[in-house]
Amino acid sequence: MFPDAVADAESLLSEAGFEVEFPRAQVCCGQPAFNAGHRTAARRVARGFARAFGHELPIVCPSGSCAAMVAQHLPALIERPPFEIWELSAFLAAHDSPVPKRNVGRRLAYHDSCHMLRELGVADPPRKLLEASGGTLVELVRPDLCCGFGGTFSVRQPEVSVALADDKLAAATGADALVTADPGCLFQLWGRAARTAPSLPVLHLATALARGVGT
Amino acid sequence: MSREELLERFVRNAEEARFHVHRGDPPAIEGAGVSVALHGLADTGSVVIAASPNEPRARHLLCTVHVSLLAESRILPDLATLFERLERPLPSSLSIVTGPSRSADIEQRMIVGVHGPAEVHVVLLPA
Amino acid sequence: MTDLAQPPDRFREEARAQLADERGSAAYDGVTQRLRTGRLAAWDELPDVEKLRERAYEIRMRTIDDLDRHLSAFRDQVEARGGQVHVCGTAEEARAAVVQIAQAAGATLVAKSKSMASEEIGLNGALEAEGMQVVETDLGEYIVQLAGGHPEHIIVPAIRQTAPEVAKLFEQVEGAPVSPELQELGNVARRQLAEVLRTADVGVTGANFAVSETGSICLVTNEGNAGLLTSVPRVHVALLGLERLVPTLDELAVLLQLLARSATGQRLTAYTRLVSGPAGPGETDGPEEFHVVVIDNGRSRLRETRYREMLACIRCGACINVCPVYRKSGGSAYGPVYSGPMGAVLVPLLARLEHAPSLPHASSLCGACTEACPVKIPLHELLLELRKDLVEERVTSGRERLAFVLWSFVWSRPLLYRLSTTLARFGQRFAPHVGPGRAWTSGRALVPLARRRFRDRR
Repeated sequence: MFPDAVADAESLLSEAGFEVEFPRAQVCCGQPAFNAGHRTAARRVARGFARAFGHELPIVCPSGSCAAMVAQHLPALIERPPFEIWELSAFLAAHDSPVPKRNVGRRLAYHDSCHMLRELGVADPPRKLLEASGGTLVELVRPDLCCGFGGTFSVRQPEVSVALADDKLAAATGADALVTADPGCLFQLWGRAARTAPSLPVLHLATALARGVGT
Repeated sequence: MSREELLERFVRNAEEARFHVHRGDPPAIEGAGVSVALHGLADTGSVVIAASPNEPRARHLLCTVHVSLLAESRILPDLATLFERLERPLPSSLSIVTGPSRSADIEQRMIVGVHGPAEVHVVLLPA
Repeated sequence: MTDLAQPPDRFREEARAQLADERGSAAYDGVTQRLRTGRLAAWDELPDVEKLRERAYEIRMRTIDDLDRHLSAFRDQVEARGGQVHVCGTAEEARAAVVQIAQAAGATLVAKSKSMASEEIGLNGALEAEGMQVVETDLGEYIVQLAGGHPEHIIVPAIRQTAPEVAKLFEQVEGAPVSPELQELGNVARRQLAEVLRTADVGVTGANFAVSETGSICLVTNEGNAGLLTSVPRVHVALLGLERLVPTLDELAVLLQLLARSATGQRLTAYTRLVSGPAGPGETDGPEEFHVVVIDNGRSRLRETRYREMLACIRCGACINVCPVYRKSGGSAYGPVYSGPMGAVLVPLLARLEHAPSLPHASSLCGACTEACPVKIPLHELLLELRKDLVEERVTSGRERLAFVLWSFVWSRPLLYRLSTTLARFGQRFAPHVGPGRAWTSGRALVPLARRRFRDRR
């Protein structure tokens, strides 16, 4: 769905001096099934993750919720030792990685993905990186408020889900772009903005950093 | 915490809790219910009223203005200390009162005096 | 427990109605914001709120592990002072116990103060069926009763009624015009209910906690009517859930440090009352009879399960105030008694999962509830467990289960995954017309799938 964002993540890492491997056997961590209560299905998919990724190299993931899944639930689910998994911005920030200055003069609103905020505790790194990219951070009124995605929730209670997305988009008025580090939130907010706020760019953090929000 | 600090803290928090705090003489308010408080709690500015043959359970509720008489020496730091100090057996009813009766049930805006007193006073009596 | 049962589509229907109600939505925004802000400020004042929360969790879980012993000690203490304890396994037994007490007292008028437990067991209807008049004396509950509705929030029941609407409700009782000015409404309510409070034969209250060491019940309120109901009527009945027991006063102090702060942002409510028996010797008011009705209604069954932490709930509403889904959907979407995250967990547990299948999914799993809970119940994790139970107990539809099984076979194998994404690219124009795709596209665009996968570009 967002191959460009993955490419942007890779370019940020390699520009920062890291050698990036992309295990081609990877598919999914199983989170959609896990969150919907389908444990057996989740386990099957999660085993695929374990076949694709080993424990030797740190794993960097441009998705707060996937990183949280692999960190918190996956090991117990498939009875394997924990993986060294990092959400992208946490990894870049922890290694003091430079980012290009592609957002000078831009006002950027950042939305915290719930899993990244509450399960991983990662809130400062994405903000610091956006500022390091030259942008001015415009704090959303309630950055911690859920965007309404919630996986299958978005289609079980679509009206409530959309109402929450609307609140989030309304809070971002005045910003040059709304940025999020999670593909689920991105899917939701981009999808709603496409219908109701087409002039507000909604971007993945990796894209905002690698290519700038003006793209 | 010294006696003075405890007292100061009590006064500050009681006023914040919307008590009118007096030192020495009780205000002359016609029709006010008057109770002798067992203790005061400094942390929350509360008065503690115990039921007894001299203090009906409802006295501090069945009035529109209520006055508590509190000896300064009976001010305790907090609820935890109160519970430690309370003699057993407990009174049949013990009320920790922290301000006037109130409700914000209508449109989230506060009104007072539903159903207890709208106006509450504490008179501090020196030890 | 038919009252708590929720047909599967009800949540979405009620949520839609709430979303369409502009005024109601604004009211919910206002309430939840006010209470959340209050809690955050009140927690901020505490020197170490995290430590306090951990202590509270420890106290609650330790008590729950030993509930039988604490209940027995509580009963001994209450009876030693002349009170009576009635332990009721089911809602039916609890209703019957209260009805019997009221009938034995020859009651014609029963005055109540707020008790969610009484709502849970459907008490009012049972008393009215026996010909007794039941009047709620808590301002918010009184309003809801006059409006013929149900409480929409466990702390502030009458969220949606405006002052003019309340005035109209009071006019029906008054038989004369009532001004919608706020303080005036308070005065009218006080007057209308003063007679009830004075003449009721039986006062029924809830109880926030029950202390087993002293045989006391603890009532945490702001209005004063509950205190009057423990003082004026000849008979006082306190209702509470089995899990409200606290071993000692010292431990009660820890929980009281958190309850008001978490519920309304107050350090303490206006009235924190400890009642330890009927009127004492020589006392001029207080009840002749003091009854405590302890309700099980499915609680003890939870002790042996993964859900035992839910018994720690102190009914403060902090989770409700931070829940984005509650705020948008409204309280009645969850049912007539418990709403928000605590309702989404508790109702399926008390009413049985198959009677409330949509509630565990009435959440985006954002985790704000767990963050807000003063006794550290991992609410969003319990919702996740309930979702797993829905699948494993086959309450979830066969179609959904099959869909995820198929998906998991395809997405655990790289080659099949490739095939699926190729097919998806061709099939995406049909997506808006099929099931979840339709639910998505009614409000949102679908992201167009890229022509080249990332893995093929490197």
